[in-house]
Amino acid sequence: MNNNGLFGQNKTITLKVWRYKPGTIDPPRYDTFQVQANAVTTVLDALEEIRATQDGTLLYRHSCHHASCGTCGMRINGREQLGCVARLLEQGGDVVVVEPLAAAPPIADLVVDMTPFAGHFAPAGMRLVRASEFNAEAETPPGIERFSRYEDCIECNLCLSACPVANTNPAFIGPAGLAAAYRALVTGERSPAEVFADVDHDNGVWRCHSAMECSAVCPSDVNPGHKIMALRRELVVAKVKRFFKGG
Amino acid sequence: MRSIEEKRRSGTWIGQAITGVLLVILLSLHMIVHHFVVEGGLRTYEQVLDYIGNPLVVTIEILFLVVVTYHAMVGVRAILFDLPLNERQKGLVTQVLTVVGVIIVGWGVFLALWLFRMARMA
Amino acid sequence: MAMPMPHKSPVARVVQAWFNPLKRSAGFLAFVLMRITGIGLVVYLLLHMVVIGNLLRGPAGWDSLIQTMKAPWVLALDVVLIAGILIHMLNGLRVTIIGLGFGTQSHKGLFWTLMAVALLLLVYSGWLVFSK
Repeated sequence: MNNNGLFGQNKTITLKVWRYKPGTIDPPRYDTFQVQANAVTTVLDALEEIRATQDGTLLYRHSCHHASCGTCGMRINGREQLGCVARLLEQGGDVVVVEPLAAAPPIADLVVDMTPFAGHFAPAGMRLVRASEFNAEAETPPGIERFSRYEDCIECNLCLSACPVANTNPAFIGPAGLAAAYRALVTGERSPAEVFADVDHDNGVWRCHSAMECSAVCPSDVNPGHKIMALRRELVVAKVKRFFKGG
Repeated sequence: MRSIEEKRRSGTWIGQAITGVLLVILLSLHMIVHHFVVEGGLRTYEQVLDYIGNPLVVTIEILFLVVVTYHAMVGVRAILFDLPLNERQKGLVTQVLTVVGVIIVGWGVFLALWLFRMARMA
Repeated sequence: MAMPMPHKSPVARVVQAWFNPLKRSAGFLAFVLMRITGIGLVVYLLLHMVVIGNLLRGPAGWDSLIQTMKAPWVLALDVVLIAGILIHMLNGLRVTIIGLGFGTQSHKGLFWTLMAVALLLLVYSGWLVFSK
């Protein structure tokens, strides 16, 4: 990261990183590292620098480096973000605290077990492909009418980590799963009866208390809070109709 | 798999919304007539009797009591259900809150009717 | 299922998840306020039911009790109670409206608007409490 000048002056930032290795670093602790950062240095860049030059045992997950894979979700200064696009100098201060996502069992350091997320998300059945909003000017190859893109949700788990309910009740389907269920409903991919059976219960759509923090942290404009509310409206309408029809 | 029991207990959100909207009216009324329009802010014993001796008033007060107790108990239940409870524990929470709710309403109705009778005798 | 963050005590986890609005947005603050005022109002309901039981003691018991209820510190608590009621009531309307899928995109504006209304009503109520 020695491109002093091109992206502004280098600045020394202290990273306090949550460390945990079962049986070795147990109970967990915070380790402090110093890194040089400029305007474009991301938190993931800093972690890679630390791993390469200061502590090779530091564990974190990442893949694409451009907010597309949803692998590097973490809590940065108490807020869920993707490490690959969170700029270090924009975190507000010379000390940046990096912790694993909450509402997911920690495996080691910043790596968490995504099984609970997948357990709530997969049953909703996400197979939607839609028209791309980007590259409107891009030329399409012969024989291809238009570009498509996969659904917005990148399965990063930030929403679940930010949700006050998911943090205390792992059985709650959570924002991503409920948003996926709503999408399956509106696209007609699944019947209302199927979707309602999945979400109309204590740990489903009614468990949400509208804190909307899922939407606040979502890096991909899924806006899960909005979708949970919309799903709830569909259910309320269905219930009211059933009540008056006496079904 | 979710149990039938769990499915049966869904939908209290609608109940909370309906009682909540009713409470905006009933609680505002309660605060205004008991405290804000009364000289000194609190009704004396005589003033309480004067007021509650009206059958319409005692009916509204009991309705308010039932609605507010329902809203309170379902609210507590909604908070407790944010904890990782199993089905048996959830059942227990619902039962205990139902009993507490019935006691509150029972006590309040007794009090209201007792005062109503005193007012009528006076 | 394994619990999140096994190294935090369950109580610490609940406090952090339900009551700490730091670093969070307006919707989360609304949630925290709703929960705190809700718990407070339930406690008050129980207290209120016990206190009005003093009516059974007749005019002597009740009228002397309400004299002590006019102490300034009790009136200050009344203002706290009214604040709790206003916050819970107006926030409850917001939760109901957005919970039915309306205005979810502008829930933050709705929150701050309703809290401004709550503040105005609180100032008016406070004036009534201390002047009557």
